[in-house]
Amino acid sequence: MQRLPISYIKPGMRTYEEVVDSQGRVLCGKGVELTEEMLKRFQELGVSYITVEGTPVKLPWEKTLEEELELLEERFRDTKNDFALQVKEVIKELLMEKFSKK
Amino acid sequence: MVDPSEKRKEVKKKLRKLEGLPTLPPIVQKLNQMIEDERTSLNQIAELIEKDQVITTKVLRLANSAFYGFPRKVSTVQQAMMLLGVNVLRILIMTSSIFEIIHREDVGLWEHSVGVAACAKILAEHLDVKDPQEITTAGLLHDLGKVVEKVAFKEDYEEILRLVAEGVEPLEAEKRVLGLNHAEIGAFLMSQWNIPERLIEAVLAHHNFDLTKKYKKESALLHLADFLVHARGYGETLHKRVPPLNESAIKILKISIPEIKEVLFRLEPRLYELKFFTEELKREFTAQ
Repeated sequence: MQRLPISYIKPGMRTYEEVVDSQGRVLCGKGVELTEEMLKRFQELGVSYITVEGTPVKLPWEKTLEEELELLEERFRDTKNDFALQVKEVIKELLMEKFSKK
Repeated sequence: MVDPSEKRKEVKKKLRKLEGLPTLPPIVQKLNQMIEDERTSLNQIAELIEKDQVITTKVLRLANSAFYGFPRKVSTVQQAMMLLGVNVLRILIMTSSIFEIIHREDVGLWEHSVGVAACAKILAEHLDVKDPQEITTAGLLHDLGKVVEKVAFKEDYEEILRLVAEGVEPLEAEKRVLGLNHAEIGAFLMSQWNIPERLIEAVLAHHNFDLTKKYKKESALLHLADFLVHARGYGETLHKRVPPLNESAIKILKISIPEIKEVLFRLEPRLYELKFFTEELKREFTAQ
């Protein structure tokens, strides 16, 4: 999953979240493959960001799944608290989901 | 070796005089008077703010940032006042110059701060805590003390960094060098600025939950937001490992792991927007 400014979005990408305009109206559901016409309309309606499935765009600051998982372990190295460790597992799930290609 | 209690007094004295700290925008004094005066209407307050173009631009930019996450674009001061409330607007005006300093001096800390603000907002809405906008603002300000250390106590800050590099726990290092930690410094400065007590207490207690008295839920929320953003690894602070999580904070919030999962999944897209926002600011600052 990536949330990107609309200028980064290309036809063929799939929505991960609903697309919402600047007035808060829902324009498109989840899991929809975006077309050129839709993107044009979204732009006219003032959509600024769209959340898409997978990680289709290479962002200079974005880490790979492997790097993310390694850093996560590092951050939690001294943690013994059970609740905190459960949070770590949730973050692992989030990362797996975020990087999964559907 | 300096006497910590002496050093503590010296630090507070300097903070009281606001030595080495950015001056508050001139509009603040007038704004405070107007807010206190019950005869002033919200429209009059908005008009005063709008006269100052620089402040208006800064405030609208903050109101439109992903940490508040309003679906609608906030394009006027009136709208910002409706959505954020006069109090939050006043705080944003007072601290607008501080945010610039955080961004310029320590982009990692800036990212951490906006991440905590966004997370605090999501938590406040999820847990139905009153006035989520205020809590968001507490998130933005929670590490204010760190910036103060960096700009107003440069040599001491170097010493803190040296101790941390040697393996001393960051809060302990601050206490050793300055006699108080960044949470205490931030809260002290916020009280000098007459920021609502609810926010001051949450900032004061965000690493030491025992310090909370009246606003346990707010303090617990900010503590958890800080932990979650460290855990997710967004931004950068002196804590290379996640700070300890206080279980009594979790009990007060009555929040479960599945709920935290929901919060983190809602936060993740926001973090992208914050990253793009930060990059945009960077470009503007380098262009200046």
